[in-house]
Amino acid sequence: MMQEESIQSTSSCSEDSNPCPICLGPIVQDSYLDKCLHKFCYNCIIHWTKVVTSKHSYKLSSVKCPLCKAENFSVIHGFDGSSFQQYFINQNYKHGFILSKAHKYRLQCYYTEPGFLSDIFNVSRFWKLRKYHQPNCWLRNWLTREIQALMQEEDVNIIVHHISGVFDSFMRRNEQQSRKKTPEAKEEEFQALISDAARPFLAARTDRFVNEMELFLASGLNIEAYDAVYKQRLGWSAPGVTSETTAQEHTEHRPTVIPYLYIFDEDSDGTD
Amino acid sequence: MQASRARLFKEYKEVQREKLADPDIQLACDDSNIFKWTALIKGPSETPYEGGVFQLAFAVPEQYPLQPPQVRFLTKIFHPNVHFKTGEICLDILKNAWSPAWTLQSVCRAIIALMAHPEPDSPLNCDSGNLLRSGDIRGFHSMARMYTRLAAMPKKG
Repeated sequence: MMQEESIQSTSSCSEDSNPCPICLGPIVQDSYLDKCLHKFCYNCIIHWTKVVTSKHSYKLSSVKCPLCKAENFSVIHGFDGSSFQQYFINQNYKHGFILSKAHKYRLQCYYTEPGFLSDIFNVSRFWKLRKYHQPNCWLRNWLTREIQALMQEEDVNIIVHHISGVFDSFMRRNEQQSRKKTPEAKEEEFQALISDAARPFLAARTDRFVNEMELFLASGLNIEAYDAVYKQRLGWSAPGVTSETTAQEHTEHRPTVIPYLYIFDEDSDGTD
Repeated sequence: MQASRARLFKEYKEVQREKLADPDIQLACDDSNIFKWTALIKGPSETPYEGGVFQLAFAVPEQYPLQPPQVRFLTKIFHPNVHFKTGEICLDILKNAWSPAWTLQSVCRAIIALMAHPEPDSPLNCDSGNLLRSGDIRGFHSMARMYTRLAAMPKKG
């Protein structure tokens, strides 16, 4: 995508012709206000929002852009080509939600290459043998955690309800006409339906989410068992292995894992 | 502290580079202290300040640009929004409406605009404000003109 490339090419530091309006230096860690999309250094704009909010006794939910005075509710930063992070001016207001270790582990899974576990869980067998006829009672909880992690929002009930509703009706239709379609057609239909349902909420991460959901269903495991397999493959959690250095050593031996460990501020031993 | 110094240095370089870009403003930094600046601004035309040159003093806080610089007139000026004795300026962008995207140069431009468009409803100089509010434009003009002649124009040989 052209747009992504042009944004990325300036992400480390912009040329002097377009400096940060606050420090007047090259922009460090591109950050955008969510409404007017004016660009600043992450530290500069966060400092400024803190100065503005500290002047008021009540919680502000927006700040004026230093350039155009548009009211903005959040700062968009950490854009990596497919996802971004958001700093809300009123941090209680939209984001009372703090990611747990389990959520962080799930997010890290999105930095592995697709097909990461395809040698362990056989997805095509899942469709061929029609394993989906056995209802998966863990799906809702799995969806909740996954979408919470991806959206960094606590209340995702409606979205979970929506996606699992789409999935259930797909299953019901399948029971009625299961003989007519090939397993491949079913898989395709599943992917199309779920990605349509999820895309408005998960945007660029939708395709990977659909893969992950398919993988979880195909595994036939409950969440704990599934996580254990995943974490073992990530290289972080044979029981007793807790330190991050060990995790890193493991990832070095496994070139398929892209270690984005800087996101995590704690040891990722994943005991929960 | 470091951030404000770095930013002021950037502004200093910009001022050096574009010295002639705006002939109405001459900004200069104190030789020994980058937090102290002075500016010479020309009174805008078609105002009683035309032909005068007014000196401004800037004291830049360590939190700059997150906090506005303190600016005052060193040259005496008769204007509703400038304190007649201290030279203090009543201008929203130097207080609540400050934005870190302003620079010392753009503050000078804002002050020139204020000279051309006084706000008599929030006066620091009540005599001047009252003249304007009561509609005595002529009285205001002659007072402002007189002080411009006395304080802001070079004495003729």
